Amino acid sequence: MSQPILETKVLGKVFGGLTALDKVNLAVEAGKIISVIGPNGAGKTTLFNLIAGVYAPSSGEIYFQGKPLGNAPPHRRAALGVARTFQGVLLFDNMTTMENVMSGQHPRSRYGFLEAALRLPKAHREEETISLKAMRYLNLVGLGMHAQQNALSLPLGQQKILAIARALATEPKLLLLDEPGAGLNALEKQGLGELIRRIRDMGISVILVEHDMDLVMGIAEWVIVLDSGQKIAEGTASQIQKDRRVIAAYLGEEEKVE
Amino acid sequence: MLERLKRRWTYLAIAAMLLFLVLIPFDWFLGQYTVLMIFIGIHTMVTVGLCLLMGYTGQVSLGQAAFYGLGAYFSAILSKTYHVNPWLAMLMAAIATGAFAYVIGYPFFRLRGNYLAMATLGLGLIVGILFSQLDRFTGGSMGIREIPPLSIGSFVFNTTLKRYFLVWVFCLVTLLLAQNIVRSRTGRALRAIRGSEAAAESVGINAAQFKVKIFVLGAVFASLAGSLYVHNFFYVNPGPFGFLFSVMVVVMAVIGGLASIWGAIFGTAVVHILSDELLIEFGEWDTIVYGLILVVVMIFVPQGLFVGLRETYEHWRLRHVERRAEP
Repeated sequence: MSQPILETKVLGKVFGGLTALDKVNLAVEAGKIISVIGPNGAGKTTLFNLIAGVYAPSSGEIYFQGKPLGNAPPHRRAALGVARTFQGVLLFDNMTTMENVMSGQHPRSRYGFLEAALRLPKAHREEETISLKAMRYLNLVGLGMHAQQNALSLPLGQQKILAIARALATEPKLLLLDEPGAGLNALEKQGLGELIRRIRDMGISVILVEHDMDLVMGIAEWVIVLDSGQKIAEGTASQIQKDRRVIAAYLGEEEKVE
Repeated sequence: MLERLKRRWTYLAIAAMLLFLVLIPFDWFLGQYTVLMIFIGIHTMVTVGLCLLMGYTGQVSLGQAAFYGLGAYFSAILSKTYHVNPWLAMLMAAIATGAFAYVIGYPFFRLRGNYLAMATLGLGLIVGILFSQLDRFTGGSMGIREIPPLSIGSFVFNTTLKRYFLVWVFCLVTLLLAQNIVRSRTGRALRAIRGSEAAAESVGINAAQFKVKIFVLGAVFASLAGSLYVHNFFYVNPGPFGFLFSVMVVVMAVIGGLASIWGAIFGTAVVHILSDELLIEFGEWDTIVYGLILVVVMIFVPQGLFVGLRETYEHWRLRHVERRAEP
């Protein structure tokens, strides 16, 4: 395996007295679709928030492309190439679909207050590139015709896709998707699976937290299972489906009948 | 096609507004309102700063009067006591006020919502008290008199008419700069912070830094307004820069429409015309009527009068177009 895009070493997070994540060691291969699964409260979202920099780890370290992320805040991690979506979608409700995606271009453009206030040519040039790229990402996810609509006027399924487009617009190397399939119908889920594969084909590593096993088993090239804050198994989808510890975590231990 | 038509209408509206503004101070038009209009111009500059902070970025400030007052007092002290050229004094005041806002901005914007409101409220109160208590510099409640006027070469801004144009050039340039910022990458970042701070951070926007920067910009606008105030009236005392003015700025911003730059003029004008002119008819009942109007506006047009009017117009036009499209 070449250098992993993301590694965690004895990563831990404690909230008050609750250990949300306990000594988790991960190595995520670049250019793959990785799924993190586990029962509710397993620590999946905590793991995401640690990778995205929302929380500082209580112990251990996260390495992105071989370099420790330390206490870098979320916005710096986005600039480094870690993008994410949220369970609660969190679109900018005061913007159009297009503007949401344009916001995603923030770390890939530079011009600031002065250039904006005085409308310097630099601002104009960058703004053109920003809208061009934003439109390209909108078309990529199939929302091009809704560019001028308010983001919240889209149905939930499209809102979630839009959130992915916004994250893609940051031009990430690693994309974290937090339950992208939740609330989507079967057809939308199928489209989502195809979109995630296309994103992978663009050379972006994808980690997704997902409850929908059909979606996970269909697209994930590597599955990591968390339970009560610990990694209990990892492997290919078919390996995981047969793993006794995983079945026990989801369905409970089989009791021995005497 | 529709886009171009819309743009042409916008240019027409702007041209009409400019013409109106140019004609106002002449006696055969609305000359008796020139001083009122000077106040509206100056206060619009303060209001637009708050619009950027509150309407676009979603951060409250109940202390804008502090920056307005700092600009006024820095300008007054520098140009009167230390005989600094008024323009230079104005520039120094803006830089000093901006630097002050920058320094207090970082700890302030670790706070959110009500706590931020409290902190800015405290700032306004403290700075207001300093104006009246630091009487060695500020002249206490007596204030500072005979502040020199602004001039360009031998052209002195010594009449109300000249000062009217000076103030409105400043005001419109401020609005233009603000408008350009709003329609840019920076403006999107600000709106993103208001939409969802977590999501803004996730797309690489340094929320804390943007909040401080826009706070500083608003402070600089307010400081320039304060400087213009003292070089208009040649006199400064603590009265106009107290807590009540901070509240008035919030009212003006909200009435015009928080998330709208041109709403700042509108809100400021409506509040001034109401409280300085129209409500005088109501005698001692004016405050009650004023309060009632605010409540009614907030209930029926919560997005502000300017935005409300624009939406009504667009709604009407859409219906009009649809009706014409029918065979």
